[in-house]
Amino acid sequence: MDKQPGLTLIVKTVTRLLVWMIFLYGTYIIFHGHLSPGGGFGGGVILALGLLSILLAYGRDFTLSWLNVRFLKSLEASSIILFLAAGLMGLVLGEVFLFNFLAKGTLFSLWSSGFIPLLNVVIGLKVGLSLFLVVLALAEFDLEKGAEE
Amino acid sequence: MILYALCFALFLVGLYGLMTKRDLIKIILALGVMGYAVNLMFVLIGYRARAAYPILEPGKPVPAMVDPLPQALVLTSIVIELGVTALLVALALRLFQKYKTFDITQIRRLRG
Repeated sequence: MDKQPGLTLIVKTVTRLLVWMIFLYGTYIIFHGHLSPGGGFGGGVILALGLLSILLAYGRDFTLSWLNVRFLKSLEASSIILFLAAGLMGLVLGEVFLFNFLAKGTLFSLWSSGFIPLLNVVIGLKVGLSLFLVVLALAEFDLEKGAEE
Repeated sequence: MILYALCFALFLVGLYGLMTKRDLIKIILALGVMGYAVNLMFVLIGYRARAAYPILEPGKPVPAMVDPLPQALVLTSIVIELGVTALLVALALRLFQKYKTFDITQIRRLRG
């Protein structure tokens, strides 16, 4: 067998099949954050673990070419601005910072509790991408040359 | 009470690893075990047996509820612990880059 980066074919195939289910589960946790245990943080961690399984199974070079890391970095940095914008809209439209200005809906339905699901999505993006980028930065660290950036 | 004692035992496991191991990665893992023991202790303090989730609903009597304050504190603590662990791993990588070992008995002299 030719020497390929990453782990064996078995691990790669299982990762290729499972990673989308991991992403689906993370998205489910994020969108049900106001109804059940979980939320932005837990779902974001699950999304980051899905990305990490790709990084572990396929190696660093494939992950860097498959993902647009520059876009992910911009998204991770700008998600906190989205959170701040949501909070300031509450300040403008309501009375206080992070005021819940959207319609609450009925209790325990999926589209309820105003913009808390949207904040969960923002937090999930922030947590997942920053967790993944931390590990990617540690994996990118070259022991011979030192830090690249 | 026995759960709190087990929590303390878990903390002592982490402390044992922190004080006796020589490998930097094992020391970082032991530090993580200590942190998780403390988090578990906080959550257990807020726990009440057969209690409901802490959400008030209109028109329903207030049941016995789990204390949500330790859970919120522990969530923050987990995030900070994640940052501390990432920082420690980065420092360990830097040390490995300079000394080519994770053994703390070999990392003795300050070399520029």
